[in-house]
Parts: sequence; structure tokens; C-alpha cells
Amino acid sequence: MRTNVARQLNQISTFHSHPSKLLEIRLGGQNSRPSGRTQSTWRDRRNCIIANNSSVNAFTHISQLPPPSIKGSLSGLSVAVKDNIATSFLPTTCSSAMLQDFASPFDATAVQLLQKSGADIVGKTNCDEFGMGSLNVHSIHGPVVNPFDVSERRSAGGSSGGSAAAVAAGMCDAALGTDTGGSVRLPASYCGVVGLKPSYGLISRWGVISYADSLDCVGILASDVDTVKRVFDSVALYDPRDPTSAPVDIRKVTSEHVDTKIHSRGSILTGLRFGIPQEYFPSEMSPEVLQHTRNVITLLQSQGAVVVPISLPSTSYALSCYYVLASAEASSNLARYDGVQYGTYVPPPPGTDITKTSRVYAVSRSAGFGPEVQKRILLGTYALSADAFDNYFLQAQKVRQLIKDDFDRVFGVPNYFSDSHSRRVDNADTSSQVDHKSDLSSYVQDVLTVPASLAGLPAISIPTNRTAGQAMGEGSSEDRWPIGVSIVGQWGTDSVVMAVASALEGLQRE
Amino acid sequence: MFVRRVVVRSCNFRHFHDLRAYKEDPRWPGWQVIVGIETHAQIKSRRKLFSDSLTSHPDDPPNTKVSPFDAAFPGTLPKLNSKCVDLALRTAIALKCSVASRCSFDRKHYFYSDLPSGYQITQQYAPLASNGELEIKLQDIPSFKVRIKQIQLEQDTAKSTFHPRTSTSKIDLNRAGTGLMEIVSEPDLRSPEEAGAYVRTLQSVLRAMGSSDGNMELGSLRCDVNVSVNKKGNPPGTRCEIKNLNSVRFMMAAIIHEIRRQSEFLLANPGQSVPQETRGFDENTFETFRLRSKEDAPDYRYMPDPNLGVLVLSKARVEGIQRDLPALPWETRARLLEKYPKLTSKEKSLDVLLNVDNGREVGYDGEDSGGAIPVLTHELLGQLAARKESFSANPLTSEQFGELIDLVQNGTITGTSGKYILRHMLSNPSSRRPREIATELQLVALSSTPSPTSASSSSPTSELHALCKSAIADLPSEVAALRTGNKNVLNKIVGHVMRKSRGRADAVAVKALVEKIVTGE
Repeated sequence: MRTNVARQLNQISTFHSHPSKLLEIRLGGQNSRPSGRTQSTWRDRRNCIIANNSSVNAFTHISQLPPPSIKGSLSGLSVAVKDNIATSFLPTTCSSAMLQDFASPFDATAVQLLQKSGADIVGKTNCDEFGMGSLNVHSIHGPVVNPFDVSERRSAGGSSGGSAAAVAAGMCDAALGTDTGGSVRLPASYCGVVGLKPSYGLISRWGVISYADSLDCVGILASDVDTVKRVFDSVALYDPRDPTSAPVDIRKVTSEHVDTKIHSRGSILTGLRFGIPQEYFPSEMSPEVLQHTRNVITLLQSQGAVVVPISLPSTSYALSCYYVLASAEASSNLARYDGVQYGTYVPPPPGTDITKTSRVYAVSRSAGFGPEVQKRILLGTYALSADAFDNYFLQAQKVRQLIKDDFDRVFGVPNYFSDSHSRRVDNADTSSQVDHKSDLSSYVQDVLTVPASLAGLPAISIPTNRTAGQAMGEGSSEDRWPIGVSIVGQWGTDSVVMAVASALEGLQRE
Repeated sequence: MFVRRVVVRSCNFRHFHDLRAYKEDPRWPGWQVIVGIETHAQIKSRRKLFSDSLTSHPDDPPNTKVSPFDAAFPGTLPKLNSKCVDLALRTAIALKCSVASRCSFDRKHYFYSDLPSGYQITQQYAPLASNGELEIKLQDIPSFKVRIKQIQLEQDTAKSTFHPRTSTSKIDLNRAGTGLMEIVSEPDLRSPEEAGAYVRTLQSVLRAMGSSDGNMELGSLRCDVNVSVNKKGNPPGTRCEIKNLNSVRFMMAAIIHEIRRQSEFLLANPGQSVPQETRGFDENTFETFRLRSKEDAPDYRYMPDPNLGVLVLSKARVEGIQRDLPALPWETRARLLEKYPKLTSKEKSLDVLLNVDNGREVGYDGEDSGGAIPVLTHELLGQLAARKESFSANPLTSEQFGELIDLVQNGTITGTSGKYILRHMLSNPSSRRPREIATELQLVALSSTPSPTSASSSSPTSELHALCKSAIADLPSEVAALRTGNKNVLNKIVGHVMRKSRGRADAVAVKALVEKIVTGE
């Protein structure tokens, strides 16, 4: 599989032999020149991006905005934004031919909040088309190359591959990604950085271009947990423009519960119960990944954490459930791309029956969407058709509820966001699961990430073997490549999940 | 939601319990006609259903009331306007529906140029309200009840105008995303006239509730009609749906044509049923035509909207709306008739007033001496229509209008002057009283007999007398002809006086006065 991915990248790269040419780099320009030290930092950052991008292909556009004048909690931080998050000052392409020349009339709430906190938004990052993919190979900007060792031309993971690679290559301090079924956690794991998919509804989706609304989350990638938390604290605010934004009172009640029950106890790991779901060890998992997972568990126990085996019995249905629901929502959300109000319009060839609107649209949609997006639209369209709806869409919704119930049963913290939290049984506080980058096909690896997405839970992926082969391009053994481990918590316990990740990070550095 | 879908499916073949007894119609003896109506009423809210854009008016320049959400820009999300929900709740309560404690929104998918997002947000599985009833009581038709199946909230589409010469469509997004109430009746109507009466009654309810203008000509109310016919005693026939009817007259004509078409088909094809079709209506030929057959019916791929979630309607909210419900049209009518029994002879005018949304405020003292109410009511509505102003936006207060009616009724001003003052007040809105304006404009009627109010030196009587005298002086040859017995010229002299009096004189009185002066000399 690993070699397959490498080959895939090479094949695609023959069509995009100079991906960096796609960058629109017009530094300086008409904008007012920054001055003094700020200016040199500002210029250095952009020069660093330009220097690295030809080999990594993480950025699609570099920002020309002057250095931020606002002083705030993110002052001094350079942040990249995934290209499916709307910006008024840079194109928002979703890595699709459909939106190749699209400029949004507004900024996403998350982008506005970053700017309000003083972050320097350095540019937009490459991704799989509309966030659909696990390897960041489905992009009009070409594939993202894993910066860990560019000579091997391995995948950076997807769909937020550009965001993960940009952080890993030191081209920015942090990046926003989006995570629908693992699109932040997978590339974080592949590139050896930290990736957080927050609880559903904590970061506003206003301005996030929908793939599957009920699953889409804005995620944060950085090289350490601290930076992730800094960014999270600035952008995870209630937004009236997002109807799925968690209301202020629910945020408050959850954080109060977490503060009194968990954070008040001193050392975060001591006495904290971790569940290890038995269903999360598929036969395809390689022995080296398993070994790293064991090491992490041992490390947790050595700090006084209680580790218990748990069962999440509906896990085996999660992947099919995810692909039915995500594709169904995608087929609906992507119906708007018809080339009329905005986006790519391809005129129908002479002789086309233009009395039917769908015939006219089909020409633009066939040209504008790549094969993976077309595949999912077709799958989703079928799942919603009158004949298939009951057996596919409704069935998948029921399975989704079972998966939520699985988690609510094992967590000690109640799910304040869900409609019913009456069947909860006190058992474990958090569960841990394992990501890895090898030996599974690009769909099968989603097995480990989609359950948290379906249940709307916070999940963070952190590198487990950074001490082993951190330096780029050194060594030759397979296990020098990054491996990530994920920590999943109950809805709203993002601070706990980050605190655990931070503790593990500290232990690994020792 | 799951259960509801199953129920909807299993009801696709209709269980028919007819609440109405069969009544022979001489136009189609032996046939029973069954009609059900889906009404789309634009909600009269300031803003659209899911965006901050202002609701547009038909006169707005194209594409001026559009937000990125209305144009389906990527990254935009819907936000439910609670004002629209409240207005729909008012309507639901007025129609005696049971309001759902929880309802939700679904996406209905199809590709068309007037639908920028590729789907319409509607309420397929869990509508806002259901199981209502509307009693139809009109003068010219026996009263009957129509069950309301459900009321759901949904988005209106944009407007596309096709230009055949260039084979292009122009899109105006002003209407896109405007809130609609879809009001679905059960198939309880039995004739074109009943269908017309139902829509007219529904219009008066919507206007009384302030939830919709209900104006079919301007497109704020549109009807889809389901029609089937069957031989007396047989089960109901297959229904055909006629889409987008935009006047009561067209709707009734469409039903009549459909009855003839379907009954002719059944006679010509014994043992067969009418093919299930969706049909349009040609306003020039007054005939329906096939749009698509059942086989071509689109699969709308309904999906619960993943953004909007469940709308929970608390008991307190529904009760609050019920408490503040404006008076229903039949309640207002009964109240007025009880208070002013003499209005019974003027029910047509009463209905006209009730059909404009706040007619109940018009004060009227019940004096019955002439036709001032109908004349001025129709003049007011005509003037408003000519000015393209709505009744609710009209600058006249109910007190002003009431006083104007009184002035005409007691002869202080003539009907012509009343109309003139009405126009003057519409063009120059102010809080001044009509009597004041009549005096200022010198429109107080010229009486032929002295009255206590006009006993001064420049009294109207003497003024009218003077006007007649000067007319006689101005027209010597006509006066000569009149003296020889030619009564026809009298009208010419009277017309001269009327012009000079600027409508203040009463023609009958002038005629008598001129005759008296000429013959009396």
C-alpha cells in the first residue's frame, strides 16, 4: 500500500510537473509595505513558503495582506487556511476546477476570528477536492508531497494535506483544516504534527464550504498541542450565523462540568480512565503501529492513568454508514455548482437539448468536478433516490445513532449536546484509538476516524514516535515515518483531550 | 420522522371516506367532481425565510434584494426567521390546525435555473401544522367545510423569464428564499365554484391574520389544483394536477376544462382510468395541457436538512400567538352586522372592506341615505390600485374615511366632491379632517334651499342662484330655445352651471332652479 501511494503520487505528478507554477505569488504589489522587523518577519515567512512549496506543494495562494495591526492572543503567529474555507482576500478554490477562479464575497467566521486575534494569515493550502479524499491526491493543484522526506514523494494524507504539510515543513505555525471523516487527523498523523478535530458545533462553519454539513468540522493543525490550543481558544466561539453552532449555555455547562470533575484534580493523567476499544485493532494494522500504541498505553499507565478494555460494538458499521451519509449530503450540497451564479461555466456543445436545465448543467458539472467527487455525488444521489432512501439513508441514520449510543455508554461525562443522555453508564472518561498511515487502503483507514465524526466528538491526533526519527531525510528504516495516536473524548471535552495530548507530548520529549 | 415516512408511503393509494353527499350538477350530469387545492402563500414578513435579505416587492429592480445565501454562495448557511414561523402559526391557528410540538425541514432536489442551490428547503416529513378546517360561508353558495391536511413552511424560488428569440433565460433572485406557507386541503371540494369560494375565503383569512397579501395577480398567492372525476357511485378517479394557477377565474376555468376533458376520456375509453398527469393552463385558450406524465415525475430525493435541525414550538409560544390572534373575517362580519343591522342590505360593500386587510377599523355610523359607502369604498380601492399602493400602506385613517362617508351621506358635499377629496387626501397625506379640506377647497355643496348652516351673505344658496343667473346670461340662444319649449337644451345649461360650480352643485337641484328662473321671468 505504501508503495502504491508513492506510485500514485508519481503518476499524478507527471501531469502537474510544476505545481508551484499554480501559485499566484505577487509579493509586495500595490499593498502598503510593512516596516522594520515586522516587515522582515512578514517577508521571511513568505520567502520560506515560496522556497519550500515547489517540492511540497502545500500552498495554493500566498496572502499579500499587510502584517496584522491588531495585537491579540495570536500575535506573531503565522496561520494557513485550507482552501475550502472562504476568504475575501484570496481565491477559495476547494482544489476544484469548478471553483478555479472563485473569490468569495465574505470571510469565514473562523478567518475573521483569527484576524481579530492578530494572526498573520499567510495563505491558502492545498486539499482534496471539496475535502473528499484521504491522501490529498484529488486536487487541481496537484498532490501534496509529504515533507518528512520529499525524495520518496509520499502522500501527506488528506484531505487537509496542504495544511498538515505546511506545518510539518515549517512554512507556518498553525493551519486550519476541515475534518468530515478524518481529514485533519489523517494528514496530521501522516506528516507527524498535531491535529485536532473539535467537538461538532464548537467552531463556526459559516464560510466553510460544505461537503457534509452534519459531519464537517473546522480543525486545527500545529507542531505542538499548545499552539493548537491557542488557536482553538480564539476561534471556538458561538456564532449566530451557523445554525449548528453550540449555544453558549451548553458550552458553559460542559466546561463547568469538565473543570470541576477533571481539571481540578491536579495532574491530568493520574486516575483518569482510558478505554481501549477492542474493535479498533483491525487485522490490517501493522505490527510496528501496534507496538507504538502499546508504548503509549504503557506510558499512560506509568503516570497513574487507569486503562480499561471497552467495546464499541457498532464500529464495524461505521464506515458504510459514513459513506452513505457523507455522500448523500455531498450530492445535495454540491448541487449548487451549476455555473450560473458563480464558478466554472462550460457552454453546452451545439446540438445539446437545452430545453432541459439538467442537460445544460451536466456539461459544466462533468467538466468541473474530478472523478472522486463525481463518484461520491453519484453514490449520494442513489442513496437519496425514492427506491433506496429507506434501505440506505434511513438505515445509515439509525446506525449513526447506535454509534453515538456506543460512546455515550462508555464515557463518564454526559453528552450535553445530544438529545438524550439518559442511558449513560459510568465506565471510562476517555477512550484512545490509533491512527496509522500504512497497510490499509485509503478507505479502510477511515475506520478509525469516522466513528468520532459520526458522534460529533473531539479527537486529537498526536505523533507517537517523534523522538525516533524526527530529522527529515535521515535513516532508511520504514518506522522512521511518523505514526499518530488519537485521543477521543465526550462531546465538549476538548480541553481534556488537549490536556491529555499535551501530557503525552511532554512525556515523549523526556 | 421514520414512522411518518412509512405512513406517507402507505397512503399513496387513497382511502376515500366522502364527507359530502353527491349532488347532481346539470353541467355534467352523472359525474362526481373531486377537487383538492395546494395553495402557496407568500409570507408577509420583512425579511426572507432563511436570510437577512429584505423581502422583495414585484416593482423592485431585478437582483437587488439578494444576499450570498439567496444566491447559494458556497459557505453560506440558513438561519430560520422566527417572524415567518409566527405568521405561519397564526394562520395555522386560524385554520384550526393542530400545531406540531416539533417539526423539521427537508431539502427537495431538482435542477432548474430558478433554484440556485439545486434544492428547495421545505417540510416534507414533519410539517408545522396539520388537521385543520375551514368553513366556507358565502352568500351565493351553500356553506360547507374543507379539511386542511397540513401547513408547511418553504422557500420561494427565483423568477426566470425565458426569451424565445435568444433561447436564454433571465434570472431574478429577488424572490429567491422568500418565505412561503404551503396550505394543502383535503379533496373536499365538489365544483369549480366551491374551489373559487375556498380560495376567496382563504384569502380573507390570510389578510385578516396579516400573514400574506394573498394577491394572486401579483403572485403572492398561487394555486395547484388536483381534479378527478368519477361516475356517480363509483370510487374516485385518477387525479390530475394543474400547476401554477394565478387567478381565481383561471383556476375555475381550468377545473371546468379538466372536468370536460376527463369525463370525455372516460366515456371514450370504457374500463380505463384517466392517465395521471401534471398539467398546465393556457390563459389564452382556457384549456389545460400536459406537462408531464406519472412516468416522467421527478424523484426529488428528499433529505432532512442537516443544518436546521428540529424546530421546537413550545406550548407557551403557540398559546401566546393564539391569545393575540387578530379577529377572523367571519367574526368581524358578525360583529359589524350585529352592531349596524342596516349594513345587511350592503353586504357586498362589507365584504369588499373585509377583504382589504384592516377593513374592520372603518367607522361608520349606520346612517342609510344613499350609496356613499360602496361608491367611496370602490373609489378608494381603485385609486390605491392605480397608485400601486396597498390598503395597509394607505395614508387615510379609518376616522378620516368614516367622516368622508358621513359628509357625502348628509349632503355636505356631493359624491363627485367626495371622490375629489379622497384623491386629494391620498396625494397629500395629512391628519386634517375631511370637513376642513372640503371647506378650504370650497367644495361644500351648493344647496338650492336655504339651510341654517349656510345663512351668511355668501351662502351657498345665493351662490348657486348667482351661478344659474350667469349661465342664463352666458347662453342667450339656449335660453331662447328653452323658452320655445326645447327641453333638450336644459341639459346644456345645467352642464355649464356644474362646470362653474366645480362639482359642488347637485344636478337635479340646478335643473329645477334654472327652469324656475327661465320660466319665472
